[in-house]
Amino acid sequence: MGNAPPEDRVPRGTVSREFDIIVIGGGHAGAEAARVCARGGKSVAMITMMRDAIGRMSCNPAIGGLAKGNLVKEIDALGGLMGEATDRAGIQFKVLNRSKGPAVQGPRAQCDRDLYASAVQSILGAEPNLTIMEASVRSLLLDRHAVSGVLLGDGTELRARAVVVTTGTFLRALMHSGETKTAGGRFGEPSAETLSGSLRALGLQLGRLKTGTPPRVDRTTVDFGKLEEAPGDAVPRPFSILTDRIERPQVLCHITYTGAFAHDLIRANLHRAPMYSGQITATGPRYCPSIEDKVVRFAEKDRHQIFVEPEGLQHPWLYMNGISTSLPADVQDAVVRSLPGFENAVIARYGYAVEYDFVNPQQLAPTLAVRGAEGLFLAGQINGTSGYEEAGAQGLVAGINALQSLRGGEPFILRRDQAYTGVMVDDLVTLGTEEPYRMFTSRAEHRLLLGCDSVYERLTPIALALGIVDDERRRRAEGRLRRMRRATDLAAGTTLSPDRATQEWCRSAGLELTTQSPVARLLQRQDFDLDRFVAAAGSAFPDLAGAFGELTEEEREGVASALRYSGYIDRQQREAAKASGDEETLIPEWVTYALPGLSREVVEKLSSVQPRSLAQASRIPGVTPAAISILRMHLRRGWRQNAPDGSAARPL
Amino acid sequence: MTASSSHPDTIVAPATALARSALAIVRIDGPLSATIITSLTGILPEERYATHIALKSGGELLDDCIVLRYVAPRSFTGNDMVELMLHGSPFLVDRVIGAIVALGARVAEPGEFTERAVLNGKIDLLQAESIADLIDARTAVQAKLSLRNLEGVLSRKASETREALLHVISRLEAALDFSEEGYEFITREDARARVEAARDDVRMVAATFERGRATATGLSAVILGRPNAGKSTLLNRLVGSERAIVTAQPGTTRDIVRETIDIGGLPVTIADTAGLRATRDEVEEIGIARAKAAARSADLVLYLVDASAGVAAEDHLEEFPDALIVYTKSDIARAPAGELAISAATGAGVDELLSRLDSLVRERFAAPESSPAIVNERQRAAVAECEAALDAALASLAEGAEEQYVVVDLYRAANALGILTGAITREDVFREIFSKFCIGK
Repeated sequence: MGNAPPEDRVPRGTVSREFDIIVIGGGHAGAEAARVCARGGKSVAMITMMRDAIGRMSCNPAIGGLAKGNLVKEIDALGGLMGEATDRAGIQFKVLNRSKGPAVQGPRAQCDRDLYASAVQSILGAEPNLTIMEASVRSLLLDRHAVSGVLLGDGTELRARAVVVTTGTFLRALMHSGETKTAGGRFGEPSAETLSGSLRALGLQLGRLKTGTPPRVDRTTVDFGKLEEAPGDAVPRPFSILTDRIERPQVLCHITYTGAFAHDLIRANLHRAPMYSGQITATGPRYCPSIEDKVVRFAEKDRHQIFVEPEGLQHPWLYMNGISTSLPADVQDAVVRSLPGFENAVIARYGYAVEYDFVNPQQLAPTLAVRGAEGLFLAGQINGTSGYEEAGAQGLVAGINALQSLRGGEPFILRRDQAYTGVMVDDLVTLGTEEPYRMFTSRAEHRLLLGCDSVYERLTPIALALGIVDDERRRRAEGRLRRMRRATDLAAGTTLSPDRATQEWCRSAGLELTTQSPVARLLQRQDFDLDRFVAAAGSAFPDLAGAFGELTEEEREGVASALRYSGYIDRQQREAAKASGDEETLIPEWVTYALPGLSREVVEKLSSVQPRSLAQASRIPGVTPAAISILRMHLRRGWRQNAPDGSAARPL
Repeated sequence: MTASSSHPDTIVAPATALARSALAIVRIDGPLSATIITSLTGILPEERYATHIALKSGGELLDDCIVLRYVAPRSFTGNDMVELMLHGSPFLVDRVIGAIVALGARVAEPGEFTERAVLNGKIDLLQAESIADLIDARTAVQAKLSLRNLEGVLSRKASETREALLHVISRLEAALDFSEEGYEFITREDARARVEAARDDVRMVAATFERGRATATGLSAVILGRPNAGKSTLLNRLVGSERAIVTAQPGTTRDIVRETIDIGGLPVTIADTAGLRATRDEVEEIGIARAKAAARSADLVLYLVDASAGVAAEDHLEEFPDALIVYTKSDIARAPAGELAISAATGAGVDELLSRLDSLVRERFAAPESSPAIVNERQRAAVAECEAALDAALASLAEGAEEQYVVVDLYRAANALGILTGAITREDVFREIFSKFCIGK
């Protein structure tokens, strides 16, 4: 091991302790997994190399954004902690795409990174079933085909029936800053060198990915007068249903731009950037490219936008969002000083790239379980994803499934028309990934059904049935649903007639009322301002005014947009329903795919993904419709497959 | 069993209709087909060569027949297969099948041969559907259309349209991910133009249904006219039999009599009807009402006018503006100049009438020989769904709706085309296609 943890904090020797579930890693995936397992009533050990690093934001100090914000809301609806922690640490809240309707809106919050980590740590600390241990894991313990625990760096054995591995970028991690290479997954933190071997021994294929982080700048050396201001929303909207309002003081972000000088400088020094010099061969994220990538790939652009984000309320650093880089220090200095407002800036920490092992997620079941190793689950960046939100949502999925496997319960699998989390997991296990996978709105074909406004309706009942939601969250989710339903019903049931008084009220709400119409229909029109209408006509429609008055702003927008876009939503729902039969047509695990009529390529693909349903099989690239027809007929006929010894066919 | 066969059991069924005919074909498919034919003939017939040989069971001669043996995977189903061409007696076919079952085969379920061909990857679902249509084909034009669909002309056209839609969808969606940055990957105008082009393509495909359906299922024709105008006589002339009762007593045909003949390459079912006249006879009145109703829903109407009586007030020609007017009894009276005139009694003019009908059918109803057409209800529904979805998407684009709403209907349209071409398979579609098959296919 590189940096062994302090000896006095872990049990010595070959002591054996027993837990129900072990979570390796204390990042965003690990925190969700450990919390949900503890909530589910199991004894849980979280093993982390650095206790203080639990919940650390290793890259930008922000949560959410387009599609990622939906993941955070889903985590919240399922009883996870990311939304709560964000609400406690958020210093600038903004709903992106605000003008576009809730289906594609993405809430985002700039966070104080120290407050965020301590929020996560205090939430975890409040779980009585959770033991946090500071140690490194040398290897997994296996009992034939089932995982039975872990062996710690000091030789201690921990026993458990399920293990969730959430090691992020720490597997054989290598940091690059210019020509300098250091072993480690995050600045100042060690790498996990031996766990990869355990995973390989299970027959898992590992790949290599890279991700990068931009330089941090000393805020006292920046002339803010030369920067554009980027304010958040006037009234910050919380992520969690448990939060009534955001208490933290809210701050400004700023915007600056790269220019021709910086671009020339980067081009001249490309040979010194590890990605281009060949030092890093792993694939980086296409959507969150380094500044050297941007300059090469978008050569025609004469400037690139940089968001200048505070790392915290008191924190002395600024995060330079948009210039992630692994160029050497002297180039980073020159590039930063070429930016307007940064003429005298001092870099407090240079940007660097991290290269790390990941597991091709096609080797996982949709429960995020490793196939062929009972009780072993993987979540987060180890599965090839990028981003806190992606990691957190996976942590929850893996944690719930670890819980269910111990309970002997049904696997927890969300459908693509049910949650962004379902889309992500299905993408990962079906398609695999060749670059760090980031959630996008465009990945969810049923996105109108997956808006933030309907998340508690879609997911909280599932979490309730799993017994992982506290009473307060349940009470609030049910109250929210009740209020929104009542308002929707009253809007549909209240009809306005074009008498003079009503016409006047409507006019004040921006609409000319000419024919009799239910309020629900008026709400479908963009130009109708319900708040103004209620203010003017409330006394004439006390029930309606009362119902809408009870709603929060977010709930009101949810009701209005559900009414406004109901035609589209219905059509999308019907389209999803048509394909649902194949989602429910399950393929037994014992089948082998060597069937006449299937090409060798198709057989290989089906065998390596082992799709759970016919619908999943049809999404595997290269599996043809004709092949799906063949599978379908075998499933209908009862898969008259000959066993290898030539004996009788197996019934389904 | 052979290495490449997925089917452990051997099935048998007649591949031709069980009726008296010159020939009857019996198909055997599966691993036992070679041993069965060997025990029935005493030899193993050479692969893919017609062998003329006696079929015997328990020393008793069953029939003298032609045997064709196929070896997996070079057969229709992809399995080992044998086809027997027997003499066309239902009794004989039954006995042969009984002997084959006694040797270990079972009687096939409807569509099972085609299902095996799909399972073995020999044909895809749409080709299977075309085979069902081909089997139902009663005329040469119908068979040709099925063959064109079998070759996939329709699929290719629909696939191109679907690709064009997916192109638009992917670009509209990319904009969703970058909407904060304000990037646009396709202009609204470009999107509208492409969707409109797709809609026009789909409309053209939809328009082939009239002809496709006519070609696949045939046409209906109705003969109308006053009593004793010669309707039944004409029908008998056309059909060449005494199917409709012909008497000199007006009002003999009180219900509708139907016959099917080949006109312009399509099966046309011709209905003879009750004569149109004012009557107090309740039964006859019902017959007249039915006759008119049949004419209104028919593809073709022949309106007969007795040349010796001329057009009368009772004729109501104005109710059937598309009717082909035919003057009858040209042997005893002259028809107005330039009008079609026949004498059913002598046969004069009947050939001319037939050739008029022939060109009418070819012009108005038969699918053009070179282009594909949708032929069945499943295909029509998919195309109609696609067209409706594209209209909705165009309406959304016109009113400036955001990308996420426009793509809802574009997806719907692309999925409908996927269903049409088989790029998307679904349980309900699958079931529908296979329900069309009958035993032995």
